Amino acid sequence: MAEVSVQNVTKKFGTLKALDDVSMDFPDGGFFGLLGPSGSGKTTLLRAIAGFIFVDGGTIRIGEQSVEHVPVEKRDIGMMFQNYALFPNMTVADNIGFGLRVRKVGAAEERRRIGEALELVQLAEHGQRKPHQLSGGQRQRVALARAIVTNPRVLLLDEPLSALDKALRVDMQIELKRIQREIGITTIFVTHDQEEALTLSDKIGILKDGRMTQAGPPRDVYNAPNDIFSATFLGDANILSGSGATDDLRRNEEADIRMPQGFDGKSTLVVRPENMSISLTKPDQEGLSKLKATVVQRVFAGAMATCILQSGGNTIKVIARDQEFPDLSEGAQVWVSWPQDKTIAIPAN
Amino acid sequence: MNSRLLANLGRLWLGLILVFLYAPILVMAFMSFNASQYYQLPFEFSMRWYEKLASNGEIIDAATRSVLIAIVTTILATTLGTAASVALFRFEFRGKRFLQVMLFPPIAIPWLITGTAMLIFFFGVGLGRGTPSVIIGHVALALPYVIVVVSARLATFDATLEEAARSMGAGGWTITRRVTLPWIAPGIIAGALFAFAVSFDQFVVSYFLSEPGDSTLPVLIYTSIRKGFTPEINAISTIIIVISMAVMLFAARFSNFGGER
Amino acid sequence: MSTVLAKQDRLKIFGLLSPAYLWLTVAIFLPLSAMLYFSFLSDVPFGQKEWFHTTENYKAFFTTPTYSILLWKSLRLALMVTVISVFIGFPCAYVLAKTIKGRAREALFLLVILPFWSNSLVRIFSWAIVLRGNGILEVGLNAVLPFEVDVNLMFSTPAIVIGLVHSYLPYVILTSYLALQAIDDNLIDAARSMGAGKLTILWRIILPLSLPGLLAGAVLIFVPVVGSFMEPRILGGRVGTYFGTVIEDQFVAVYNWPLGAALSFVLLAVVLLILAISSPILRKART
Repeated sequence: MAEVSVQNVTKKFGTLKALDDVSMDFPDGGFFGLLGPSGSGKTTLLRAIAGFIFVDGGTIRIGEQSVEHVPVEKRDIGMMFQNYALFPNMTVADNIGFGLRVRKVGAAEERRRIGEALELVQLAEHGQRKPHQLSGGQRQRVALARAIVTNPRVLLLDEPLSALDKALRVDMQIELKRIQREIGITTIFVTHDQEEALTLSDKIGILKDGRMTQAGPPRDVYNAPNDIFSATFLGDANILSGSGATDDLRRNEEADIRMPQGFDGKSTLVVRPENMSISLTKPDQEGLSKLKATVVQRVFAGAMATCILQSGGNTIKVIARDQEFPDLSEGAQVWVSWPQDKTIAIPAN
Repeated sequence: MNSRLLANLGRLWLGLILVFLYAPILVMAFMSFNASQYYQLPFEFSMRWYEKLASNGEIIDAATRSVLIAIVTTILATTLGTAASVALFRFEFRGKRFLQVMLFPPIAIPWLITGTAMLIFFFGVGLGRGTPSVIIGHVALALPYVIVVVSARLATFDATLEEAARSMGAGGWTITRRVTLPWIAPGIIAGALFAFAVSFDQFVVSYFLSEPGDSTLPVLIYTSIRKGFTPEINAISTIIIVISMAVMLFAARFSNFGGER
Repeated sequence: MSTVLAKQDRLKIFGLLSPAYLWLTVAIFLPLSAMLYFSFLSDVPFGQKEWFHTTENYKAFFTTPTYSILLWKSLRLALMVTVISVFIGFPCAYVLAKTIKGRAREALFLLVILPFWSNSLVRIFSWAIVLRGNGILEVGLNAVLPFEVDVNLMFSTPAIVIGLVHSYLPYVILTSYLALQAIDDNLIDAARSMGAGKLTILWRIILPLSLPGLLAGAVLIFVPVVGSFMEPRILGGRVGTYFGTVIEDQFVAVYNWPLGAALSFVLLAVVLLILAISSPILRKART
């Protein structure tokens, strides 16, 4: 077990800057998510930590060791791949034992640890099966067991759950978290699924175009995104434009917006859809920001519902439990309101 | 060992293989332009062997015969093979697996055995040696190749396209002509080129089935080589190599064998 | 599998398939049967010749040491050509499949298998020009090397081996390349992440996974080489007497067709045995 530290890392592929001055700390025993759209550099960062690619500049430390020039096979890491990459020619037990065999731990020790790992992922009965005889979820467990059986210093997961269907994915998220807590291994994973990142991580890093735009605990990043990209990529966000340069939006018949603390007159305002509520008449409560809007569409999705509205030039999305919405028809004039402290001000850059 | 060094060693190896594969062919082509009859160096450029070739009636006859046989073989093998491929692709029936396995003997059994067996049989039924026997043999050898190539193309055919056509009211023949055939056309062209190459390059079976004085080009070349070297053979061989490589390059454009595209 | 077919469909299947398979029957399967029958005759049953059924031809194979010696010689030649081709071709296929990327790979792959589709007789002939004494190889080597060398490989076993390797090498490159290309690069990455070095990856991942393709290539080389006769004739001269050339002689020189048929069937039996032994692994290659 070890902490991982990435400082000022740069990697170019030809003229493309895949990683541009990226820094992030991964303290010992934590669970970390790297999040970003495709092409953002998140997988490149993971592969740089793993050692599949060597960075052009900056430092990567695992524990006390600087590893920029250490190839992957010498880094003592565990890695799980998107498609699991189980060796089709070997049994489950041989797959798990592969790294142990390489480390020459001895036959008895090898058997014992394979048994333990199978136990840990609840596949004790499946050691002699071949990978193609397993279900998707079982393969995923084997891949996990294989990655951790050598007690690596750090566990790296590349889109670990993306190949599973939704229901199974939620189960596996819980399972993954349980196992990670049980063995206490520093774990870094890459995902494009923001929900997964929020669920699993102690800390997330958001990447865009090779740059780390924000890193921190999920709740902090969600509640206080430091740029528009973080705000929109992690969760839904209503961006109230026109709020920066002019006062139009601030106070007139159709709008009454309370500025948050630290508002410098040039910030962009962001409000999460779930913090807004809709009423047919203008709420008279003090301390609420209010905005007159027209209903465009209401989307029912079981327990929750989404309402799309239009206000000024802005499209606004409100999410709430379905029964909390008043009776709305398309084109109806309504008021959207939210508490003052739910307005996020993102400083202009 | 250093990975980059290893990768470069690998490339070097690949380069050596390519030299090994092409060197003799290039040497032969080079020598066909050398004036000396006994391949003596230094090299002296000359077209005399090509000129002699142009006036060698025996070789011209054999070449014409080879091309004609290859064309007839191509037409027959492509037609029969495409029909069989369509049936094998579209229908499920008992014995299908067996029919697919039956395609392997012409490819897997050494041509020496196939060729001598044909010789015996064609004599037995009174057909004997000659161009008709050669064509029958060539078509049989080319058929499995056509079926394999066309079937590979058919396997990429999206059956819902036919269903879509049917939903728009098209009948069986219209679907085949307007939807299925255009899709497999590249496969058919590739299959035809393979058939042509199999026939045009075929030596063993032609050797046993063609009549002396009425032989195909490769058979004529073989008998000439065994009599002694003549540079005219260099010239005609160079021409053959150029033609068959061009045909295969063309075929490669229509079938992505081996490479992802 | 559905076995109940509409009558109309059955007619269609019959109409589409029967020409091709009828042709194969007439040109391949009936001739093979005829040859089997011939191998049990004392003489060709044409004209006024006397003939009767006999097993003499097979007895000849088992009692005349020459034939079994030559068959053994042919098998050894095939083994040598196969092993050399595998050792040369597999690394080449590996470089193509795993080291080179993109359009360069496509072009190089085409370049490697292109000669294979040109006339094999002509390619063998081109080696005859290169290998003969005072030929290009000797002149070229003497121009480069500081000392005189005498390279007359023509009419020797090495010449036959070189020519055959040249003819059949693309087979093993093609099949190995297809098998190697199908190996997910993530498997190699996974093995590396578990600490495996290059040799371990080769032995435990790459070779086991590409073995069916490698073996398919080996069989595709071994089988035709056992029955080769043109290559030994052209490149081997007097040392080029093999089982294949003896069969050829029975049909074009000695005109003892029944004996030739029997020898062909012995060869066929050997070939079928090889195919049968390798088929369990070969079947894997196609899935």
